[in-house]
Amino acid sequence: MTQNLDLTDIQGNIIKAYGAFNFTKARYLFLRIDNGERGRNFVGAVTTKVTSAVRWDKNSKPSATTNIGFTFSGLQALELPTASLLGFPEAFAMGMKKRKDILGDDGPSDPIHWDKIWQETAHIWLSINGQSTQAVDERYQWILKQIEASDGGVTLLTGHRGESDENDLPYQDASVLYDADGNPTPKEHFGYTDGIGDPVFEGQTNTQARVLGRGKLTRSGQWEPLATGEFLLGHVDEAMEYPQTAPAPKLLAHNGTYMVYRKLHENVGSFNRFLDEQSETYSGSKELLAAKFSGRWRDNGAPVVIAPDDASKAEWDKYYAAADFAGKKRMLIDFSYNNDIDGAKCPISAHIRRINPRGSLEYGVKDAFERPGALVDRRRILRRGLPYGEVKDATRDDGIHGIVFMALNADINRQFEFVQQQWINYANDFKEGNDKEVLLGNHDAENPGKVVFQVAKDSGEPPHFVNNIPRLVETRGGDYFFIPSITALKMIAGGIVDPT
Amino acid sequence: MATKSGNATALTVLSPIKNGAIGEMSFADITRERCLRLPIHEKSPLARVPNTYLARLFVLDDVFYESLPGSDSVFNFSDITSFFSDAARKAALPKKDHLQSRYLVFSSNFYGDLDDYLAGMWEKWAYDAHGNQRDIRYIWEHCVAFDQVNDCNDFIGYIKKCQLDASLFFNGSTDDSLQEQLKALYLKQEFTKFVVAHQGKSAEEIQQDFKTFIDRVQPENMDGPSWLPGQSMP
Amino acid sequence: MSNIAGKAYAMNVITPIRWYKVWINRLIFKIALNKPSTLKGLITLSLIHYARWVIIPRNAFPHLDPSQPKENLNYAYMLFFSNFNGSWDQYVDSFTFAIPSGLDLFWKWNVRYPKSVPLTPFHNYIRHNQIDTSHYYSAYPMAASNDVKSAKKLKQALIDFNAASSNKTPDEFLVDYNRLLNHLQHDFGEMRPTPIVSLAAQAVKERFLKSQASH
Repeated sequence: MTQNLDLTDIQGNIIKAYGAFNFTKARYLFLRIDNGERGRNFVGAVTTKVTSAVRWDKNSKPSATTNIGFTFSGLQALELPTASLLGFPEAFAMGMKKRKDILGDDGPSDPIHWDKIWQETAHIWLSINGQSTQAVDERYQWILKQIEASDGGVTLLTGHRGESDENDLPYQDASVLYDADGNPTPKEHFGYTDGIGDPVFEGQTNTQARVLGRGKLTRSGQWEPLATGEFLLGHVDEAMEYPQTAPAPKLLAHNGTYMVYRKLHENVGSFNRFLDEQSETYSGSKELLAAKFSGRWRDNGAPVVIAPDDASKAEWDKYYAAADFAGKKRMLIDFSYNNDIDGAKCPISAHIRRINPRGSLEYGVKDAFERPGALVDRRRILRRGLPYGEVKDATRDDGIHGIVFMALNADINRQFEFVQQQWINYANDFKEGNDKEVLLGNHDAENPGKVVFQVAKDSGEPPHFVNNIPRLVETRGGDYFFIPSITALKMIAGGIVDPT
Repeated sequence: MATKSGNATALTVLSPIKNGAIGEMSFADITRERCLRLPIHEKSPLARVPNTYLARLFVLDDVFYESLPGSDSVFNFSDITSFFSDAARKAALPKKDHLQSRYLVFSSNFYGDLDDYLAGMWEKWAYDAHGNQRDIRYIWEHCVAFDQVNDCNDFIGYIKKCQLDASLFFNGSTDDSLQEQLKALYLKQEFTKFVVAHQGKSAEEIQQDFKTFIDRVQPENMDGPSWLPGQSMP
Repeated sequence: MSNIAGKAYAMNVITPIRWYKVWINRLIFKIALNKPSTLKGLITLSLIHYARWVIIPRNAFPHLDPSQPKENLNYAYMLFFSNFNGSWDQYVDSFTFAIPSGLDLFWKWNVRYPKSVPLTPFHNYIRHNQIDTSHYYSAYPMAASNDVKSAKKLKQALIDFNAASSNKTPDEFLVDYNRLLNHLQHDFGEMRPTPIVSLAAQAVKERFLKSQASH
């Protein structure tokens, strides 16, 4: 039942959300491989500094981390054998750009509008997370040296749009947002507190404490860790088998996973205008309305299903202030929708309910399914990333600001793409037809849609309609990457991958 | 005898296709190609057959040989006998079956009486195939004994000979007439637009506009505005 | 020209069943029909418009003319037709995750049926025995099964409301109107064309429509 993961072999970004460990700054690099052998040598050099998932103590926490991933084209350029390449899944092999019709990357999110860098195909993704900009820069300089030493083996791609609207940066920077006093916050540009939930799976440390609200929901209302294979190749998944998305040989896939990288621009001006307009016809406060869009209150992330109105929020805040660290975490994450099947507390179309409906797709019909979360447990993703840019003018959309979003999962199509297509941009599973999720949905300017905020059943009150939703988030770039284990990295670097 | 769930009916038809060919194309392949080229959605001939909810056509060429392994826990006597006789082991392998004819399979879910439905197929099935108007005979033309079908009664009799009962017909939707379903969908679409547009308005205004709305959409008039069968765009 | 018509997918599966086990299958189907709890999971999934199982005994393939050779089969056959919403993967996965025992109940007696958990052998079994549809028609490509059911409820409620309330005083009307909206608060989803679940099917459809238009 319990297994111990070989943390020395797994890349750290899979197991850890670095932001929670005080790595407030990040830089993402994308490279093209121009020569197979020298490209492999480069990978070998970088691997010496790739951060694993090993636990840190006070003394061993590095000032900067580095992780690495490859697109399918990148693996081809590194000259992996054809038989191995054929074992990679379709979505990954196509790359994110070609999947735009599945993802709803249309209109302003269409790849033709992406940052210039995405006009060609990236091969390698490199991340630097640092506790300071200086730490990031030191690691960056070191990487530049390795690139130079590759003697044309790899090229650093340019074309990221930056803070001052430059078009040609050689990297994408990201950072936590700071409050007025200069303290780091977990917020993003719409003002929401981000990064609260993350799935918990078998083999992680300390799962007992962390699993509440983050694992899979059992019939009795308890939580259990999800199967490791939902997030790591080479381990048994929720379907009682090894992920079929694993290529051969086993050592290439084992302890690896897939990463979705998306640069998401936030239309801050539209969001603020929209929130203001909508709150004029909404019976609750503006912050309540913003909370209902998301499923969490903006200021501290209080779950709307627990604090569905201004009064209960005030109560919740009191308890929260008095709770200890562990208690605070539990208050934020240990909940289900079992007492809110109708959506009167947390609207069915609220962001967090759409991306993780917990047990609510059983619609309260006891024992209809094997488990209440039967339709949800295999649609979870590990969320990573940080905001980028800053809002200089909150009334405008054209500032450079948004989120670098990353999702890690064993099966891009079954997990990330499914949630994006079926639960964010569509709603049949929620019996809401084609209604798109407010914040992330690819709302159509020509046929703007709406969502329904439900109210208490039989109360005689009408539901509230949130209408004419503008597109609040636009895709500006990204791709699909394979995140190998340390063992696999060394094999790739050594040119010894062989599925014979 | 077709199977029913309330007023919804499941019709399963397997019509044997003549063995043989015209030139170098077999009757079955001709039939399949004609099916593949049928126009879709509102232009499908099935859109004209009254009360068709969902229906499909395909050609059954042959049955499949079960070469995939089964599960690991079922006990078979052959597990024991195989120890002693290789013939016993071989005999326990799945057998190879082959069909002597290929079949045109038509499976329809519709509302109401079977005879009425089949009459509707004979009389109303029509579509445009590259400038040629086609009726139902174009699809069934090469089926065994279909050349003896000359009128509606012949057709009904023919289909009934090709018909198979369903052992279980699961209705996950409604058993209303198609007209009712389409009208309801139309009303859902229109009323949703209405309620969203009237949020926050005064009682007088909503009531006034509601009356106008009812006059326009005519909820109880099945011949009034509605979705068309097979309608694919809003 | 495909398995997809708007929001609906047409699945056809044919599987051999040992002739002497046909009666068990028929019995199970009969029980399922008469015990609603067996179908509770299927109904809660609510992805299906209509589905059916047809058992064809060895000698029951339609035989219309002496010129047609008689079938000579070792097995009886089970035909399964489903009209469901979502992609193939979503459908098969829903069954496996949500109601694995239900699936096993219906297919257990078929030759080499692998059980519905783990997932991949079951996926393979369905794919192995699936026949593609040549022509698929849905009377409402923009409506999922949920939409059809929801529309039925809405229509009746609207008619009842109109009869009872449209001639009341404005204030009374509004009270009833709000009550109506509350009652229908899960029935206001918009209905538009389907998301593209299969790039391959979409490409085929676009080419097909283009070729039809050019004639």
